[in-house]
Amino acid sequence: MAILNILHFPDPRLRNKAQVVKSFDDNLRKLAADMLETMYQAPGVGLASTQVNDLRRLVVIDVSESHDDPLCLVNPEILEKHGEHKMEEGCLSVPGVYEPVTRATDIKVRAQNLEGETIEFEADDLLAVCIQHELDHLDGKLFIDNLSNLKRQRIRKKLEKEERQAQPEPIGQAL
Amino acid sequence: MGMKPGAKSNPRVVAAQLLRQLANGRSISDLLEQGLGNITARDRGLVKEFCFGVARWRPRLEAIASKLMSKPIKAKEGEVQALILLGIYQLAYMRVAPHAAVAETVEAARLLDKRWAVGLINALLRRFQREREALLSMADADPVSRYAMPGWLLKRIRTDWPEQWESILQAYNQHPPMTLRVNLSLQSRADYLALLAASGIQATPVDAVASAVILEQPVDVDQLPGFSSGAVSVQDAGAQLAAVLLESQPGMQVLDACAAPGGKSGHILESTPEIQLTALDLDEARLARVHENLRRLNQSAAVVLGDAANPQGEWASRQYDRILLDVPCSATGVIRRHPDIKLLRRSEDIAKLAKTQGEILRAIWPMLKPGGRLLYATCSLFSQENEAQVQAFLGIQADARERVIEAKWGHPRSVGRQTLPGEASMDGFYYACLERM
Repeated sequence: MAILNILHFPDPRLRNKAQVVKSFDDNLRKLAADMLETMYQAPGVGLASTQVNDLRRLVVIDVSESHDDPLCLVNPEILEKHGEHKMEEGCLSVPGVYEPVTRATDIKVRAQNLEGETIEFEADDLLAVCIQHELDHLDGKLFIDNLSNLKRQRIRKKLEKEERQAQPEPIGQAL
Repeated sequence: MGMKPGAKSNPRVVAAQLLRQLANGRSISDLLEQGLGNITARDRGLVKEFCFGVARWRPRLEAIASKLMSKPIKAKEGEVQALILLGIYQLAYMRVAPHAAVAETVEAARLLDKRWAVGLINALLRRFQREREALLSMADADPVSRYAMPGWLLKRIRTDWPEQWESILQAYNQHPPMTLRVNLSLQSRADYLALLAASGIQATPVDAVASAVILEQPVDVDQLPGFSSGAVSVQDAGAQLAAVLLESQPGMQVLDACAAPGGKSGHILESTPEIQLTALDLDEARLARVHENLRRLNQSAAVVLGDAANPQGEWASRQYDRILLDVPCSATGVIRRHPDIKLLRRSEDIAKLAKTQGEILRAIWPMLKPGGRLLYATCSLFSQENEAQVQAFLGIQADARERVIEAKWGHPRSVGRQTLPGEASMDGFYYACLERM
């Protein structure tokens, strides 16, 4: 297993749309395992393939406190949405930013598992929010897209600055 | 999706909670063992640094904090008090960006639901930043806040070590080195040093102790080559002197009378595997650590639950050629490794400990064979627990005499020999070697 590099806003690759998965092979299972490891290490509760620059429609999620209840959804779609509430969300691609987002409270989901079998289930609470958040990623959307332009620009500046500061000193220049 | 770090996984919140419990008399090691469950692997080192750092500098941080407040924080608000000390510690001693140290500490107060303290902590830490130099030199003017040592301890060290007290106190506030004991029954020290070098771990041998190696940088034990198979253990160089001074020989009956957690038992068996070793301790939970240590070293001993001060049972009916008496003590010699001792120890403890030590020594002595040797050991710096204790015993026990320790390390005392913290890369240990005539 390996820790994957998570793309950070405003990386344009976060805007790519992921493609439907047709082959359920070892390669897909390896991607899922690596994404789970990356998510746990971050730490986060969900991660979508586009965030690690892969374009297969796959999201991994674990909202349990004990981090032992992983869920891998391939080609997920939301069949039904009910209710509405606002919750503060964060995103591993927009580190350090937490903003309220309005989402459906109860959803019905259809997806495939890593073996290609179709599954259908209902979700509420944090799991429902997380699934909606991750599905947005697969379509190139981010949770900050609904904020005002001004606010989004400020986030962009902040992250660009942090990225610059994180660059290591070029070797050979420091005496 | 990421979640806003909650109170339970915030390193400053957790450190403040642990430090509050420390004030209630539990040791840092105990607290850290249970308190890091919700902390991410990346933040664990940070929480440890916070706890050890604040414990180490507490009297100094408290002196500074009291200058910055018009009235003290109420005793029941232990977490707020801990956050204030933690804030000053970060600004004065850590390489955290100052604005981040202030903002994160204030945020921790908010996460702890101490909204009333948010403005106070913010103002206090900013004032520290502005008046930093004046506050630090004010703290330097008084020995208690300069060396961050409770007054009674400072006075006592000064009395017992009139020439060395300042260097002792300075050593207490240094980060201790990570010292290893190479298992010389499996490989030579030079071979193990080569193994470390091959793993990219920088290390140097300790002159005074044949098995000791000091690491340039502390590492996790799992990174040490052969740790799990017993090639090496973590142990201060001064503690490694015990097995050397005991000089056990093949075939001997050896008793380690206060054995937990088993570090010295392990070393004795590494030096002379062909002995019958009895490892005794009166704390059942800590005996489990002895089993654990011996298992890792692939050694066997009779591990026995029993009280050295009140010998009963099969182990007490036997006689021994060698006895190691590593008695319970004030641990004032190892404060640089366990800075919480400064806060946990009370002045009245010393007399109580000395009484117990005397009882153990007198109770165990009859189990030593004539011609046999008993090594009395403490990690204390105080005469009352060390030379005065042994001197008094020699005064009443006609068949006991001192075998003088000839060595290059440490300081000879009226009886026995003492290492001091920081000297020869060791912690502070006392050893006296007694023979039964």
